[in-house]
Amino acid sequence: MNISPEEAARALGDIEASRTTMRVVIRSHRGHYHLWLWGSIWAAMALLAEYLGLPGMRIANCLVLGGFAASALIILGQKTQVRSTGHKRFVGMLAAIVVFAFVWPLVLRGPANPKSGFAYSALVSMFCYIMAGIWFDIYLLWVGLVVSALILTGLFFFPAIFWWWIAVLCGGTLIGTGFYVRFFWR
Amino acid sequence: MDELDATIHQPARLQIMAALCQLSPRNQVDFSFLKAKLGLTDGNLGAHLLTLEEKGYIAVEKTFVARRPKTFVAATAAGRRAFDAHAAALKAILKP
Repeated sequence: MNISPEEAARALGDIEASRTTMRVVIRSHRGHYHLWLWGSIWAAMALLAEYLGLPGMRIANCLVLGGFAASALIILGQKTQVRSTGHKRFVGMLAAIVVFAFVWPLVLRGPANPKSGFAYSALVSMFCYIMAGIWFDIYLLWVGLVVSALILTGLFFFPAIFWWWIAVLCGGTLIGTGFYVRFFWR
Repeated sequence: MDELDATIHQPARLQIMAALCQLSPRNQVDFSFLKAKLGLTDGNLGAHLLTLEEKGYIAVEKTFVARRPKTFVAATAAGRRAFDAHAAALKAILKP
Protein backbone atom coordinates (compact mmCIF):
# COMPACT_ATOMS: atom_id res chain seq x y z
CA MET A 1 0.00 0.00 0.00
CA ASN A 2 1.51 3.33 -1.10
CA ILE A 3 0.24 6.82 -0.30
CA SER A 4 1.53 10.32 -0.93
CA PRO A 5 3.14 12.46 1.78
CA GLU A 6 0.10 14.77 1.61
CA GLU A 7 -2.25 11.89 2.33
CA ALA A 8 0.00 10.69 5.16
CA ALA A 9 -0.01 14.18 6.67
CA ARG A 10 -3.79 14.33 6.40
CA ALA A 11 -4.13 10.93 8.08
CA LEU A 12 -1.84 12.00 10.93
CA GLY A 13 -3.95 15.14 11.33
CA ASP A 14 -7.08 13.00 11.59
CA ILE A 15 -5.40 10.82 14.20
CA GLU A 16 -4.45 13.85 16.29
CA ALA A 17 -7.96 15.31 16.04
CA SER A 18 -9.49 12.05 17.18
CA ARG A 19 -7.00 11.73 20.05
CA THR A 20 -7.75 15.28 21.20
CA THR A 21 -11.46 14.52 21.32
CA MET A 22 -10.86 11.46 23.46
CA ARG A 23 -8.47 13.27 25.79
CA VAL A 24 -11.27 15.67 26.75
CA VAL A 25 -13.52 12.72 27.58
CA ILE A 26 -10.82 10.84 29.48
CA ARG A 27 -10.02 13.90 31.56
CA SER A 28 -13.65 14.20 32.61
CA HIS A 29 -13.53 10.58 33.85
CA ARG A 30 -10.24 10.80 35.68
CA GLY A 31 -10.19 11.33 39.39
CA HIS A 32 -9.20 14.98 39.59
CA TYR A 33 -12.41 15.96 41.39
CA HIS A 34 -11.73 13.27 44.00
CA LEU A 35 -8.12 14.40 44.35
CA TRP A 36 -9.19 18.01 44.91
CA LEU A 37 -11.86 16.93 47.37
CA TRP A 38 -9.71 14.58 49.44
CA GLY A 39 -6.64 16.80 49.31
CA SER A 40 -8.76 19.61 50.81
CA ILE A 41 -10.28 17.28 53.41
CA TRP A 42 -6.87 15.95 54.46
CA ALA A 43 -5.52 19.48 54.81
CA ALA A 44 -8.57 20.56 56.84
CA MET A 45 -8.39 17.44 59.06
CA ALA A 46 -4.72 17.95 59.80
CA LEU A 47 -5.19 21.63 60.69
CA LEU A 48 -8.22 20.83 62.87
CA ALA A 49 -6.11 18.27 64.74
CA GLU A 50 -3.24 20.75 65.08
CA TYR A 51 -5.33 23.61 66.47
CA LEU A 52 -8.35 21.97 68.14
CA GLY A 53 -6.91 18.63 69.30
CA LEU A 54 -9.43 15.88 70.08
CA PRO A 55 -12.57 18.00 69.35
CA GLY A 56 -10.97 18.83 66.02
CA MET A 57 -10.57 15.12 65.25
CA ARG A 58 -14.30 14.63 65.84
CA ILE A 59 -15.10 17.41 63.35
CA ALA A 60 -12.58 15.78 60.99
CA ASN A 61 -14.50 12.51 61.18
CA CYS A 62 -17.62 14.39 60.02
CA LEU A 63 -15.57 15.80 57.16
CA VAL A 64 -14.60 12.27 56.13
CA LEU A 65 -18.23 11.19 56.07
CA GLY A 66 -19.07 14.29 54.01
CA GLY A 67 -16.17 13.40 51.71
CA PHE A 68 -17.51 9.91 51.10
CA ALA A 69 -20.94 11.37 50.29
CA ALA A 70 -19.39 13.94 47.92
CA SER A 71 -17.27 11.25 46.21
CA ALA A 72 -20.38 9.12 45.72
CA LEU A 73 -22.20 12.10 44.15
CA ILE A 74 -19.26 12.75 41.82
CA ILE A 75 -19.28 9.11 40.68
CA LEU A 76 -23.06 9.16 40.16
CA GLY A 77 -22.78 12.43 38.22
CA GLN A 78 -20.23 11.04 35.77
CA LYS A 79 -21.66 9.97 32.45
CA THR A 80 -21.05 6.44 31.24
CA GLN A 81 -19.39 7.41 27.98
CA VAL A 82 -16.24 5.65 29.09
CA ARG A 83 -16.21 2.80 31.57
CA SER A 84 -13.64 0.48 33.03
CA THR A 85 -13.91 -3.27 32.72
CA GLY A 86 -13.79 -5.43 35.83
CA HIS A 87 -14.59 -2.47 38.09
CA LYS A 88 -17.14 -4.43 40.15
CA ARG A 89 -14.53 -6.95 41.26
CA PHE A 90 -12.17 -4.08 42.00
CA VAL A 91 -14.77 -2.32 44.16
CA GLY A 92 -15.29 -5.62 45.99
CA MET A 93 -11.56 -5.89 46.60
CA LEU A 94 -11.43 -2.32 47.94
CA ALA A 95 -14.36 -3.03 50.25
CA ALA A 96 -12.49 -6.06 51.63
CA ILE A 97 -9.38 -3.95 52.22
CA VAL A 98 -11.37 -1.26 54.06
CA VAL A 99 -13.17 -3.82 56.26
CA PHE A 100 -9.90 -5.50 57.23
CA ALA A 101 -8.30 -2.10 57.76
CA PHE A 102 -10.86 -1.55 60.54
CA VAL A 103 -10.21 -5.00 62.03
CA TRP A 104 -6.39 -4.97 62.11
CA PRO A 105 -6.10 -2.08 64.64
CA LEU A 106 -8.52 -3.92 66.96
CA VAL A 107 -6.31 -7.01 66.84
CA LEU A 108 -3.15 -4.96 67.35
CA ARG A 109 -4.74 -2.82 70.11
CA GLY A 110 -5.05 0.31 67.96
CA PRO A 111 -2.67 3.09 66.94
CA ALA A 112 -0.66 4.56 69.83
CA ASN A 113 -1.71 8.19 69.29
CA PRO A 114 -3.76 10.45 66.97
CA LYS A 115 -0.81 11.01 64.65
CA SER A 116 -0.16 7.33 64.06
CA GLY A 117 -3.95 6.80 63.84
CA PHE A 118 -4.21 9.39 61.08
CA ALA A 119 -1.10 8.00 59.36
CA TYR A 120 -2.60 4.49 59.47
CA SER A 121 -5.93 5.51 57.89
CA ALA A 122 -4.13 7.70 55.33
CA LEU A 123 -1.84 4.80 54.39
CA VAL A 124 -4.86 2.52 53.96
CA SER A 125 -6.40 5.00 51.52
CA MET A 126 -3.06 5.36 49.70
CA PHE A 127 -2.88 1.56 49.47
CA CYS A 128 -6.26 1.75 47.70
CA TYR A 129 -4.80 4.40 45.35
CA ILE A 130 -1.88 2.11 44.56
CA MET A 131 -4.23 -0.79 43.81
CA ALA A 132 -6.33 1.50 41.60
CA GLY A 133 -3.13 2.62 39.85
CA ILE A 134 -2.13 -0.97 39.11
CA TRP A 135 -5.66 -1.79 37.95
CA PHE A 136 -6.81 1.32 36.06
CA ASP A 137 -4.57 4.32 35.61
CA ILE A 138 -0.86 4.57 36.35
CA TYR A 139 -0.94 8.11 37.76
CA LEU A 140 -2.84 6.82 40.81
CA LEU A 141 0.02 4.43 41.52
CA TRP A 142 2.49 7.31 41.63
CA VAL A 143 0.19 9.43 43.82
CA GLY A 144 -0.16 6.50 46.23
CA LEU A 145 3.57 5.86 46.40
CA VAL A 146 4.58 9.52 46.80
CA VAL A 147 1.96 10.37 49.43
CA SER A 148 2.68 7.15 51.36
CA ALA A 149 6.36 8.06 51.47
CA LEU A 150 5.46 11.59 52.64
CA ILE A 151 3.18 10.25 55.41
CA LEU A 152 5.87 7.91 56.74
CA THR A 153 8.56 10.59 56.51
CA GLY A 154 6.39 13.04 58.43
CA LEU A 155 5.43 10.47 61.06
CA PHE A 156 8.94 9.19 61.79
CA PHE A 157 11.22 12.13 61.03
CA PHE A 158 9.12 15.26 61.62
CA PRO A 159 6.62 14.42 64.39
CA ALA A 160 6.75 17.98 65.76
CA ILE A 161 5.31 19.42 62.57
CA PHE A 162 3.35 16.32 61.54
CA TRP A 163 -0.07 17.98 61.08
CA TRP A 164 1.30 20.83 59.03
CA TRP A 165 3.36 18.29 57.08
CA ILE A 166 0.17 16.36 56.24
CA ALA A 167 -1.83 19.51 55.43
CA VAL A 168 0.74 21.10 53.14
CA LEU A 169 2.65 18.21 51.59
CA CYS A 170 0.13 15.36 51.53
CA GLY A 171 -3.02 17.46 51.01
CA GLY A 172 -1.06 19.68 48.62
CA THR A 173 0.21 16.68 46.65
CA LEU A 174 -3.33 15.38 46.17
CA ILE A 175 -4.67 18.79 45.11
CA GLY A 176 -1.66 19.49 42.88
CA THR A 177 -1.96 16.07 41.23
CA GLY A 178 -5.63 16.86 40.59
CA PHE A 179 -4.61 19.98 38.68
CA TYR A 180 -1.87 18.10 36.83
CA VAL A 181 -4.26 15.34 35.79
CA ARG A 182 -6.94 17.83 34.79
CA PHE A 183 -4.76 20.10 32.67
CA PHE A 184 -1.60 18.28 31.63
CA TRP A 185 -1.99 14.49 31.80
CA ARG A 186 -1.89 12.79 28.39
CA MET B 1 10.16 -0.90 9.00
CA ASP B 2 6.45 -0.54 9.83
CA GLU B 3 3.97 -0.93 6.97
CA LEU B 4 0.66 0.75 6.32
CA ASP B 5 -2.41 -1.25 7.30
CA ALA B 6 -5.16 -1.00 4.67
CA THR B 7 -7.86 -1.92 7.22
CA ILE B 8 -6.90 0.88 9.57
CA HIS B 9 -6.09 3.45 6.90
CA GLN B 10 -9.72 3.95 5.83
CA PRO B 11 -10.51 7.45 7.28
CA ALA B 12 -13.39 6.48 9.56
CA ARG B 13 -11.58 3.40 10.89
CA LEU B 14 -8.44 5.45 11.39
CA GLN B 15 -10.37 7.87 13.61
CA ILE B 16 -12.05 5.01 15.45
CA MET B 17 -8.72 3.34 16.21
CA ALA B 18 -7.09 6.65 17.19
CA ALA B 19 -9.93 7.32 19.64
CA LEU B 20 -9.92 3.81 21.12
CA CYS B 21 -6.14 3.62 21.45
CA GLN B 22 -6.19 6.86 23.44
CA LEU B 23 -8.11 5.05 26.18
CA SER B 24 -6.25 2.99 28.75
CA PRO B 25 -6.35 -0.78 28.05
CA ARG B 26 -9.06 -1.46 30.66
CA ASN B 27 -11.42 1.24 29.36
CA GLN B 28 -14.29 0.91 26.92
CA VAL B 29 -16.22 3.64 25.11
CA ASP B 30 -19.95 3.83 24.51
CA PHE B 31 -21.05 3.18 20.90
CA SER B 32 -23.46 6.16 20.83
CA PHE B 33 -20.82 8.49 22.19
CA LEU B 34 -18.28 7.30 19.61
CA LYS B 35 -20.85 7.75 16.85
CA ALA B 36 -21.55 11.33 17.94
CA LYS B 37 -17.88 12.26 18.32
CA LEU B 38 -16.94 10.88 14.90
CA GLY B 39 -20.05 12.14 13.12
CA LEU B 40 -21.03 8.71 11.79
CA THR B 41 -24.39 7.02 11.44
CA ASP B 42 -25.35 3.89 13.38
CA GLY B 43 -25.01 1.69 10.30
CA ASN B 44 -21.76 3.23 9.16
CA LEU B 45 -20.07 2.95 12.54
CA GLY B 46 -21.45 -0.56 13.04
CA ALA B 47 -20.01 -1.67 9.70
CA HIS B 48 -16.57 -0.23 10.45
CA LEU B 49 -16.57 -1.76 13.92
CA LEU B 50 -17.45 -5.14 12.43
CA THR B 51 -14.51 -4.88 10.02
CA LEU B 52 -12.15 -3.98 12.86
CA GLU B 53 -13.58 -6.71 15.10
CA GLU B 54 -13.10 -9.33 12.38
CA LYS B 55 -9.44 -8.34 12.17
CA GLY B 56 -9.15 -8.69 15.94
CA TYR B 57 -8.35 -5.01 16.40
CA ILE B 58 -11.28 -4.20 18.67
CA ALA B 59 -13.55 -5.99 21.14
CA VAL B 60 -17.27 -5.21 21.27
CA GLU B 61 -19.33 -5.87 24.40
CA LYS B 62 -23.12 -5.63 24.43
CA THR B 63 -24.66 -5.12 27.84
CA PHE B 64 -27.47 -3.40 29.73
CA VAL B 65 -27.10 -0.15 31.67
CA ALA B 66 -30.18 0.92 33.66
CA ARG B 67 -32.20 -1.69 31.70
CA ARG B 68 -31.21 -0.18 28.38
CA PRO B 69 -29.07 -2.02 25.84
CA LYS B 70 -25.62 -0.51 25.50
CA THR B 71 -22.67 -1.37 23.33
CA PHE B 72 -19.15 -0.69 24.52
CA VAL B 73 -16.06 -0.84 22.35
CA ALA B 74 -12.36 -1.17 23.20
CA ALA B 75 -9.13 -1.63 21.28
CA THR B 76 -7.43 -5.01 21.73
CA ALA B 77 -3.69 -5.44 22.30
CA ALA B 78 -3.35 -6.54 18.66
CA GLY B 79 -5.31 -3.45 17.57
CA ARG B 80 -3.06 -1.16 19.56
CA ARG B 81 0.04 -2.73 18.05
CA ALA B 82 -1.39 -2.47 14.53
CA PHE B 83 -2.43 1.15 15.06
CA ASP B 84 0.97 2.13 16.48
CA ALA B 85 2.68 0.46 13.52
CA HIS B 86 0.36 2.25 11.08
CA ALA B 87 0.98 5.63 12.71
CA ALA B 88 4.74 4.98 12.63
CA ALA B 89 4.51 4.12 8.92
CA LEU B 90 2.63 7.37 8.23
CA LYS B 91 5.31 9.37 10.05
CA ALA B 92 8.03 7.56 8.12
CA ILE B 93 6.46 8.70 4.83
CA LEU B 94 6.80 12.32 5.94
CA LYS B 95 10.47 11.99 6.86
CA PRO B 96 12.83 13.23 4.14
